Amino acid sequence: MFKRVGLVVSVAVLAGLAIVAAALARPSSHSATAAGATCSKGVQIGMLAPITGPASSIGSDQLHWAQFYVSNWNKAHKLKLKLVQGDTQLDPSKASTVAQSFASNKSIMGVIGPAGSDEVQATAPILKKAGLAFVSGSATRVSLTGGQWKGFFFRNVPNDGVQGPTDANYMTSKLGVKSGDTVMVVDDQESYSTGLADIVGAALKAKGVTVDRESISQKDTDFSALVAKAGSAKIVFAPFQLSSQAQLLAQQLKAQGKSAVVFGSDGTFDSSKFSVAGSYVSFFAPDVTTLAANKSIVAAFNKQFPGGTSPFGAPNYVLAQMYAAAITKACVDNKITRTELRLDLAKVKLPSSIFGVPVAFTAKGDVAGAKFYIFKIQPDGSYKTVG
Amino acid sequence: MNWNLFLTELVAGITHGSVYALIALGYSMVYGILKLLNFAHGDIYMVGAFIGFGVITVFGGATALTTSLVILLVSMFVLAMLGGGLLGVMIERFAYRRLRNAPRIAPLITALGVAFFLENSAQLILGAEFQSYDSFSWKNGELWSKGFELPAGVHVALAQIIVVVGTLVLMVALTYFVRATQTGKAMRATSFDREGAAMMGIDVDRVIVVTFFIGSALAGAAGVFNCMVYQQLWPYMGFQAGLFAFTAAVVGGIGNLPGAVLGGMLIGLAQAFATGYVSSTFEEAIVFAILIAVMLIRPSGLLGKAAIQKV
Amino acid sequence: MDDGGNPNLPARPDEGEPGIRVGVDDWVATHEQRDVRRTGLTGKANDLIDRTPRWWFYVAFGLLAGLLPALTSNGYVIRVGFDTLIYMLLCLGLNVVVGYAGLLDLGYVAFFGFGAYIFAMLSSPKFGLHWDALIVVPLAVVATGLLGLLVALPSRRLVGDYLAIVTLFFGQLFVTIMQNGSRFSLLGIGDHSWDLTGGPNGIPDIDNWDLGGFKISSLNGYYLTALTVFMISLFAIYLVDVSRTGRAWKSLREDPLAAELMGIPVNRLKLLAFAISAGIGGLAGTLFAGLNTAVFAADFDVPTLIIVYAMLILGGAGSLGGVILGAIVVNVSLEALRTPGHATWIFYTLIVATIIAKVRPWRWVVIVIGGTIGLGYLLVAIANEWWPRGTAGEPTVSGWLGTWLNEWVLHPSDPQTIGNICFIVLVFAVLGLTLLKPWLLWVAMIPTLYLAAFVWQNRLVVEPSVTRLILIGVVLIVLMNARPQGLLGAHRIEIA
Repeated sequence: MFKRVGLVVSVAVLAGLAIVAAALARPSSHSATAAGATCSKGVQIGMLAPITGPASSIGSDQLHWAQFYVSNWNKAHKLKLKLVQGDTQLDPSKASTVAQSFASNKSIMGVIGPAGSDEVQATAPILKKAGLAFVSGSATRVSLTGGQWKGFFFRNVPNDGVQGPTDANYMTSKLGVKSGDTVMVVDDQESYSTGLADIVGAALKAKGVTVDRESISQKDTDFSALVAKAGSAKIVFAPFQLSSQAQLLAQQLKAQGKSAVVFGSDGTFDSSKFSVAGSYVSFFAPDVTTLAANKSIVAAFNKQFPGGTSPFGAPNYVLAQMYAAAITKACVDNKITRTELRLDLAKVKLPSSIFGVPVAFTAKGDVAGAKFYIFKIQPDGSYKTVG
Repeated sequence: MNWNLFLTELVAGITHGSVYALIALGYSMVYGILKLLNFAHGDIYMVGAFIGFGVITVFGGATALTTSLVILLVSMFVLAMLGGGLLGVMIERFAYRRLRNAPRIAPLITALGVAFFLENSAQLILGAEFQSYDSFSWKNGELWSKGFELPAGVHVALAQIIVVVGTLVLMVALTYFVRATQTGKAMRATSFDREGAAMMGIDVDRVIVVTFFIGSALAGAAGVFNCMVYQQLWPYMGFQAGLFAFTAAVVGGIGNLPGAVLGGMLIGLAQAFATGYVSSTFEEAIVFAILIAVMLIRPSGLLGKAAIQKV
Repeated sequence: MDDGGNPNLPARPDEGEPGIRVGVDDWVATHEQRDVRRTGLTGKANDLIDRTPRWWFYVAFGLLAGLLPALTSNGYVIRVGFDTLIYMLLCLGLNVVVGYAGLLDLGYVAFFGFGAYIFAMLSSPKFGLHWDALIVVPLAVVATGLLGLLVALPSRRLVGDYLAIVTLFFGQLFVTIMQNGSRFSLLGIGDHSWDLTGGPNGIPDIDNWDLGGFKISSLNGYYLTALTVFMISLFAIYLVDVSRTGRAWKSLREDPLAAELMGIPVNRLKLLAFAISAGIGGLAGTLFAGLNTAVFAADFDVPTLIIVYAMLILGGAGSLGGVILGAIVVNVSLEALRTPGHATWIFYTLIVATIIAKVRPWRWVVIVIGGTIGLGYLLVAIANEWWPRGTAGEPTVSGWLGTWLNEWVLHPSDPQTIGNICFIVLVFAVLGLTLLKPWLLWVAMIPTLYLAAFVWQNRLVVEPSVTRLILIGVVLIVLMNARPQGLLGAHRIEIA
């Protein structure tokens, strides 16, 4: 006879414990709402990122950069920061559950993330209701800022509406793409990529350029079909999330002797992974990992988190830095509330950053002074600013 | 007719199909003997790819190899196959063996548990970043610049030739092993009727261990082959490959070894031609639609025999 | 049950009477007398549980779950409760096709997604339709049921794993189409394309459930709605389960060939199972879309399928109680493991509980636990003397537990590499333990346990997001090995 009693008893005990725990959670949460938290115990920031699952290469890198800033900060300051990780697996519904856990955890004062534009859309109602600021270092869909989440949602990366036209302009003015030429525009079926591809495709079409719109999946590693089709194309615009895929595409084009040049976006901006000479990349800052001023920071990061980094990581370092500045300001009276932090965060101005430029938010919540730079990859694999 | 496009797709399809076929072979072998869908099989492929990457790193990294290509390739394959094989044997011993007479869905869930464990342990230890074999840089790109030209300007690279020929060699060796050796005979007997084989004095446990070793070793080799041509590797690469291999095995007729190869090739070619000729957006949808049609016309797979119902 | 030599049995009433009674089956007639009551406290409790009608437990569950919003105002708890209810609903549907009919349906989450997308299209600004939930929900359930029928119709010839693969393709097909549905263009004919599903951007701003003017907008409201919907579906399925159809399904599951020979309409039953399960999946989808206010194709991919299967099989396929239990165990532990503090408690409690349950005789329990801690203090003392780096690291867990653990677990200053190596060693050590016999096993446990604590403190607790998935993998392997039929499962379910 199997031990049904044991099972039922343990389930009952578990259920009882869960209910008691839930009931106990109530009083503390109520008292905390009114008073906010005391800074001397440390201030908690939630981090929404796809730490595991299909987008883990991006998410874990974002987490690492934020952790890196926080651990450095804590070594040098009395006011301690704590990063609470929330794994979204790039799944909007899981992201909502995690966002709800941050909203209900009254010791969390602000949120970094979510990473994807879909996730921002899914979590925004919950986070706004809880009065939390949420700042993304990678969600670039144009419509996210300035709308109903103004004052709550911020991002420190320029949106697709800046990058797309810059890229299209550069192609027509500097790379000699004329009316009647063909440009292949390839997306990777994620919203970041399709959004950018749509904008660039439309801008090129408006100038009379023939656009061959293709798409791949992030799981693909074999682009021979695209390569074969790219025969007449002058440029292959590849706004991918994974720089390694842009590298593969460029390599396979080269291996088949095609002359088309790969033009990547900020998602593929990574000199360690995308290094086929002659390709172009656009990015909203000079190269973070090669700026002379960043050398020691990047070296320290690589020591703490060996295994490489992606272009989606470094903005989260800056986000943590901005939060640290805002928290310092809010904590002058040793008290902090979500609203206070949110208002302070909106006003943060970093005079210098690892981007090499000052960082601040506009009233809409976008990054101020958004500008894109175009890089050309040199024969030694390094990136050179060309526009 | 655009011969360039056609031949490019053909070469790409055969190369990719070879990798699928190798993984599918292991899937099919295990299924033939245990009737177990080993969802952790794709992760053995991932581990094999990482072992190969480790070998590259030991020999100085892609751009500064300290040894000749032959030694590099041989050591990558030997170690990846050995490592993959041993991992497969361990998984069988510790996760599946006790479940041999359990309801069939129980080992399926166990296999998912093993897959979770392997993928996330790999992320814990190796990090989630994409890594690259970067075979374009090995010895100034010899693997890619050498090779031969097909008509219409299509270049077949040495790397692709190695993959296809390597797969063929492994397949021939496997066929010889299963057809002609004592152990191979025991494997066939066990897959036909496990209890009957045990009654005839065959050590079923040993046969199962050997099957897992060979099947997993093939997956390990497939990991190296794949990354040699398609470069990138990361902890979750096994999942998708496992799904496609499972598909290939079933389409060919699960449990049937030539069927697994046929299925793998079919999927590789279908993917390539769907992207080339129809639409890259709906490539996957087209592949799946083709496969559904195949299954509905031949419910037991292309080379599978209709199941004989025993009463 | 063996009644042969049981001395407790009362004498049979017909004992001594010569001949056989006509029209009476001896075995059936004496059924009552053979029913031995078990003794002892656990035996009594077992009896009580066995004799209580199943549905009492379901009602008790419904009442307890209904109390949750009254007990807590913590939105996260309610949200996890809602997610769990959605999973229960999904398991309930999957149970019909897998647990009852014994068909391996790997395209199941596509039905979940289909329901969600139907709701999203018919009540959101996407096409400007804002229909009442009283219309949309039944419509979605029926449409999903029909889709299930449509999938099952050509697949009914397929058996076992061939059915599994075709349904898997169907699921993948669904995700791909939804993911790229923003640019349907009739196979490349013409330049115009239609946006039906929002593609990778999904469908946002979905309306709340609107029940004839009564809007459900709060989290609590959705929780209670989901609970009501689940309880209604549960009782509907319970009634089907005990009906002729339910018995026919089970005969189909146990042996399709024999069932067919007995004149059971096998094909019709398969179709019915598919349709019902798909309908329930679609129902779950409408709830999901209502609360999340946005649907994306990524929500309906293979990872969700895996989780639902794990819940169902872990709980015990074919058992309604198992559906509830499996969803709670998997989802609640997945959520609880997110927080490193909770995860630490769960980790050590599980270890200690396993030791107490498995290690015998009792004195070894004390020796094993005491030995581990003693070994720890010894190693820390040694490290303080000769390897100061070994205790220089920061404690990773807060609270008194963390402080205490810090006293006897080494914390090297740069734990990443050594932690990774020890993790691999730990895996091999644990595998090795399963080969040993007492008392060697108990002795070998001491260093292994210490190693486990070391790896946990230095590596696993630092990466909670990865760790929780590793742990779920381990739990699946261990539980399936310990109870292949699932926690509350019937003894044998054969998918053939």
